[in-house]
Amino acid sequence: MKTDNVFKPSSLAKRLAVLQGIDKAAYVALQNFLSSIDGSANADDLTDLVDLLCQTFTEEPAGTLALIERLDGLVPEPVSVKVLRRWALDGLQRHRTAHSKRLQYFETSDPLSFADPETQFDTDHILAHRSTLLHYLTGFGVSDLQIDLHAPQVGPTSPKRITVSNDLLLIPQRWSGFSANDLHERKLLYRAAVAHAAAHLQYSPQHLPAGNRHPMLLAMMGLIEDARVERLMVEKYPGLLALWGRFHVATRDSVGFDLNGLAARLARALHDPEYADNNAWVLLGRQMFEAAATDLHNTLEFEIVGRRLAVECTKMRLPFDANRYCVIPAYRDDNELLWDFNTALPEGEEDTAALDHFELRKQKKEQLHPLREVETNLQAKRHYPEWDYKLETLREDWATVILASRPRPKNKVQRFINSHGRRNPLRFNSLACIPDRSLRLKRLYEGDEIDIDAAVDSIVQRAGGLAPEPRIFMRHGRRRRSTAILLLMDLSESTKRFVPGSFISVLDIEKRAATLVADSLDASRDRVAIHGFSSNGRQEVHYVSIKDFDDPFGPEQKTTLKNQESHLSTRIGAALRHASVVLKEQTSERKLILLLTDGEPSDVDVFEEDYLVEDAKHAVATAKALGIDAFCLTLDRNADSYVRRIFGSRNYLITDKAASFADSTVQTLVKLIGK
Amino acid sequence: MDKALIPYLIESEPYYRETGNEVELFEAAYLHGLPMMLKGPTGCGKTRFVEHMAWRLKLPLITMACNEDITASDLVGRFLLDTHGTVWHDGPLTIAVRFGAMCYLDEIVEARQDTTVVIHPLTDKRRLLPLDRCGELVKAHPDFRLVVSYNPGYQSAAKDMKPSTRQRFGAIDFDFPEASIEAEIVAHEGKVPFDMAAKLVAVAQQSRSLCGRGLDEGISTRMMIHAAHLIANKIDIHDACRLAMTAPITDNRELLEALNGFVEAQFGLELE
Repeated sequence: MKTDNVFKPSSLAKRLAVLQGIDKAAYVALQNFLSSIDGSANADDLTDLVDLLCQTFTEEPAGTLALIERLDGLVPEPVSVKVLRRWALDGLQRHRTAHSKRLQYFETSDPLSFADPETQFDTDHILAHRSTLLHYLTGFGVSDLQIDLHAPQVGPTSPKRITVSNDLLLIPQRWSGFSANDLHERKLLYRAAVAHAAAHLQYSPQHLPAGNRHPMLLAMMGLIEDARVERLMVEKYPGLLALWGRFHVATRDSVGFDLNGLAARLARALHDPEYADNNAWVLLGRQMFEAAATDLHNTLEFEIVGRRLAVECTKMRLPFDANRYCVIPAYRDDNELLWDFNTALPEGEEDTAALDHFELRKQKKEQLHPLREVETNLQAKRHYPEWDYKLETLREDWATVILASRPRPKNKVQRFINSHGRRNPLRFNSLACIPDRSLRLKRLYEGDEIDIDAAVDSIVQRAGGLAPEPRIFMRHGRRRRSTAILLLMDLSESTKRFVPGSFISVLDIEKRAATLVADSLDASRDRVAIHGFSSNGRQEVHYVSIKDFDDPFGPEQKTTLKNQESHLSTRIGAALRHASVVLKEQTSERKLILLLTDGEPSDVDVFEEDYLVEDAKHAVATAKALGIDAFCLTLDRNADSYVRRIFGSRNYLITDKAASFADSTVQTLVKLIGK
Repeated sequence: MDKALIPYLIESEPYYRETGNEVELFEAAYLHGLPMMLKGPTGCGKTRFVEHMAWRLKLPLITMACNEDITASDLVGRFLLDTHGTVWHDGPLTIAVRFGAMCYLDEIVEARQDTTVVIHPLTDKRRLLPLDRCGELVKAHPDFRLVVSYNPGYQSAAKDMKPSTRQRFGAIDFDFPEASIEAEIVAHEGKVPFDMAAKLVAVAQQSRSLCGRGLDEGISTRMMIHAAHLIANKIDIHDACRLAMTAPITDNRELLEALNGFVEAQFGLELE
């Protein structure tokens, strides 16, 4: 890093000025830090760092101040700014509702856990496979489970196994005891793990009170339970035996004689009848399990096996360390699902006498704060991801779109008579049409096929001495593709200003264009919706539907349109994402988003120059993948630099004349529909 | 029976495994001359059921697969030319009406609604087919029966029957049979042992739980029979399942991987 130390004072100074504008204390603290590392970091990194701090400060001021205090000795070595960014954003997202936890995260959590590139690779790989795994899980009858990752942690306490709960399956970034760089092998592991989790959900008794049972007893009972549910599962899905068997590789030589190793050998012995092991404990476990296995649903018998195994372990004086114990093979979960550590065991069931001379370890389990019940309309909020171009990842559920509720008229279908008629129905060229076999044009002079009935008539006429009818051909008709157009209006503060050289505000021009579009399209063929948006930080992207696809453009919609006011900022990406979701549900053959705006995307909590532009670009690409085209009409004369990046070179139009904006909109639309 | 119908007679019994009382119901409807509508997912045995019933009732079976291009004259007939002049040719529907056969319109919703209207006078009390072109009124033969089928799952709202058409029919709702019966069918038709068939059915049932999550319809009985045929011909099980069951139903990579996972959950790991 030291080699490339070209200092760019202007860029960094600019960012620092921004931070200074936000908070003085943070600025001073950061200045101290910067002077302490002066010369050991490159300027671009520092600029990025200040950008990041600006952003975290708007969301977590106290945490950011704490973080600046910690920066010395952390950045740029051993933690690079990029890693710090990943770590900070993960914290903001993971604890977005719990303020205290978020603060704690910034004060104490270690960014080093994000530093390992291999972990990052694993994370990406798991996330890329998430939807496959969800489909796979659904096949086993589990359809309401979410799959997510464990929070990354460093040190011995980091989770190494999957954790199953009733609504969430948490996957660790690193599975201990498994390091396959072969991607195929990895996918097998995921499937094995998910199938095992499905087995538990289907057959295991859940959340039994753990009471003060010794952790080793719990581990043994878990081991037996794992084997039991797998047996049951294999009855229904025999192929899983081979899938799971692939990961049972423990042998005497490979895992040894400590408790962990013996447990792994027993797990293998219970799984694979051909595996030979001569350890007395393993043999005992196998023998007892097989005796109990005559009735796999009798959990009581299996509990006895687990207890006996635990007792034998204590007799052998094998030390057990709950922190180091890790279920082998790797695909098995940590069995948290089986126990409820918060409830005491009912009286008389505590028989851990044999284990008493072991230190009883209190299971640490945080009592969950009972959530405050807040009345919210779930329908009215949607979360969308945003693209972080610096990390090249999607920040999941980053932006919140709030849908404005709109009072619905009581009688839904309101006949509306267009008093001044349709102004000018749009004219389309023939390219806009596609052949449609259900339209038959008959009795033509020329065509693709002979119209048999007409031909027969014609020959009959000729035979009768009449002049034969020459129109004996037919062909298929063409029709214009049905189109759904979503007009997205920028309602940000800046649309209040007048268009240069006129006395009409940008917003009024947008409204005029929207009216013209809605009026001039043929409602029987094309569907038009008019939506607007403005934003106030990532948690508050307001989205208003002025006219939906199913609404007529009646007086009520016109009033709503007229009442729209300019306020707040422009977070284009989130609005585009929501608009594409709305459009996706339409059945039209062609889907268009037409964005009317006056400037580049901006928002109060974003200080990086390109972040929102890159995010909007990503949103456009995502929409394109769904078969939705996005086009932008802007009144910003200097828009060239960013609209081209967002929408692509031919998908935007810059008009700076107030008078012609509405007309250009309509013309653009004609061109787009005809494309 | 008229000799025009002889080619339409079914000679040997088509295999059909009854899953409920559909045979009994169909026979009752037959006795009352009620036109029947069979609905159900693709590949669940609607067509096979019709063939079986035609054989059972000893009726000739005239099948028309409907599509958008079918016109009313394709069904009832038209004038054609020969050396002496124009000659009227009966369409398949008219043959069935005139001589008494079972007329089966497969995937009826694919035909245009104005085409299907020609069956209206046939399917109520009148049982008449007016041939306006040649000025004839054909009275339906007492043995004439009309059966239509369609798949309610994937047709769009645009492709639906008019209520006036719908209300003329009695309907039987088909679905995939329960696992053991379906396995019996696959074993019989695909000529594989019952155990193998049961595993194929288990894969299919897992796939059906993905309906509406990206899959329009799960793996059908017909697809399993295809896979079973391949397996009986010594094709590797995983390859056969991929070829006949998982790969055809989706293009989505993630779904495909999950589906292949279901195959793996029955038949174990694929050899590399």
